[in-house]
Amino acid sequence: MDTKITLTKGFQYVTFAMMAIGIAVIAYSFVADPARAWANFLLNNYMFLSIAIGASFFIALQYISQSGWSAMFKRVPEAMMSYIPYAGILMLLLFFGMHSIYHWTHEDALATDTLIQHKAPYLNIPFFFIRMIVFFLAWVLMTRLIRNASLNEDKIGGRSFFEKSELLSKIYIFILAITFSFATFDWIMSIEVHWFSTLFSLKNFVAAFLHGTATVVLVVIILHQKGFYKEMNKSHLLDFSRYVFMLSIVWGYFAFSQFMIIWYGNIPEETEYFAHRWHSGFKVIFYVNFFINWFLPFVLLLPQVLNKNIQVVKAVVIILIFGQYLDLYEQIFPGVMHHPVFGITEIGFFIGFAGLFLFIFAKALAAVPLIPKNHPYLDESLHHHLH
Amino acid sequence: MNKNHIIGVFDDEDSLMSAVHEVKEKGFEIWEVFTPYPIHEVIEAMGKKTRFTFAAFIYGFLGAAGVLAFMYYTAVIDWPINYGGKPTNAFPSFIVVTIVITILTVTLASLFTFSLRAKIYPGKAYILPDARSTDDKFVMVFDKSKQNSGSGDLESILLKKGAVEVYEKELQPQI
Repeated sequence: MDTKITLTKGFQYVTFAMMAIGIAVIAYSFVADPARAWANFLLNNYMFLSIAIGASFFIALQYISQSGWSAMFKRVPEAMMSYIPYAGILMLLLFFGMHSIYHWTHEDALATDTLIQHKAPYLNIPFFFIRMIVFFLAWVLMTRLIRNASLNEDKIGGRSFFEKSELLSKIYIFILAITFSFATFDWIMSIEVHWFSTLFSLKNFVAAFLHGTATVVLVVIILHQKGFYKEMNKSHLLDFSRYVFMLSIVWGYFAFSQFMIIWYGNIPEETEYFAHRWHSGFKVIFYVNFFINWFLPFVLLLPQVLNKNIQVVKAVVIILIFGQYLDLYEQIFPGVMHHPVFGITEIGFFIGFAGLFLFIFAKALAAVPLIPKNHPYLDESLHHHLH
Repeated sequence: MNKNHIIGVFDDEDSLMSAVHEVKEKGFEIWEVFTPYPIHEVIEAMGKKTRFTFAAFIYGFLGAAGVLAFMYYTAVIDWPINYGGKPTNAFPSFIVVTIVITILTVTLASLFTFSLRAKIYPGKAYILPDARSTDDKFVMVFDKSKQNSGSGDLESILLKKGAVEVYEKELQPQI
């Protein structure tokens, strides 16, 4: 059972090549159009951070619900958590792009705009970065502790590590609920500084959970098809596809609730947000977003013939990863750019960040055996069978 | 008394399932299995299939389409009223009602379909071979007259597979 994946030279070169392409495009785009470059930077960094956060929430949830079926897959979300510190360092670079993305950092806006003045005690650059550092420190600390408890369980064994992980997961979920909410308010909602929505953080939290889980499922399926995870059977796959199905409904619920309440209330300072997203060419993204993130997973994973088919589940989770890109594009770009833009800059940024994420994730995944040893529910997971 | 049924009582799901597979292999025909909670594996092992989920989907689809059509008819065609300057076809606000009515349609229609198909109605006389199957026991029932095809002694097979009790009984409907 000592399954350990080895990173082939080819894979490493591919990720390095992706990063090189990314760096070249990023360097070019910062010269050509800094505002667009910073919007891309925020989008991609937040996207891969949200996948890592979603994966960490997934594993914390498995611990507190004492789920047996997923025990043998826990190394995958654990390895994804290792991206969080790198995302933190990159996010700090946002310091140089504040003026390009955030309207509230402009001195002239602060001087004349009453609402920005009112929000100034919270939305100012020093406090923004203090919060950012606190959030990242909390996430890095908690994910490290969870990861270490899990690795020590392999080395030493015993139930105490599982109980410790469970306690840590409870604390982590509590911390994450608060910090991630404020993080989405800070980094994404404040782009549209005049607009506010309480559901915003919840929707983005669920989006992170959905797309983090989708990425976990994709990696597990790819590993399974490459010959790892031999014990994975139809029941595991069905559990994964139900997970994605359920989360895409929750995503649809929150995304629609936020829109519907604002649409129905019809208060100008709230509708302004969606009015902006319905004009100057952004409207198609609004509909495609619902189509990809809710409708497709809902329809494709509903019939049993499809949600037990590994190829269908794989296709759906790949689509969902692009769904997260589109969802964030809809939230970030209308506030920074005046018209929808998509070109070599967007593709280059995505490839660069994807290369970085893949490299860090694969390194962490290859560092330890793929299947944990002393997890108390491991046996149940290996012989998982649904009724 | 005509003891025409053989009844095997099991303590847990695992021994019940191994017995089900064993008697199927030996060629016995199971009349019915009574369990404290639903076990899908038994239904599959007995070779029973259900189109129930498809029926539920159809009900949901019809429910959603029906309630949307109803709201469209009332709000747009029959009695258009201007609410706060919104278009009369206020589609996003129809969605919440649609979801709720769809759930209601599916639930009620499924309930009635199930009662019709299983011929269950209030006051029906029921057959309960062993009352302990409503508590913690798993009960397998065989029709004695149809056991010609099987090979070997049914009782000893059941006992070997972990039955805590095997006995014969005449089944009578109870009110």
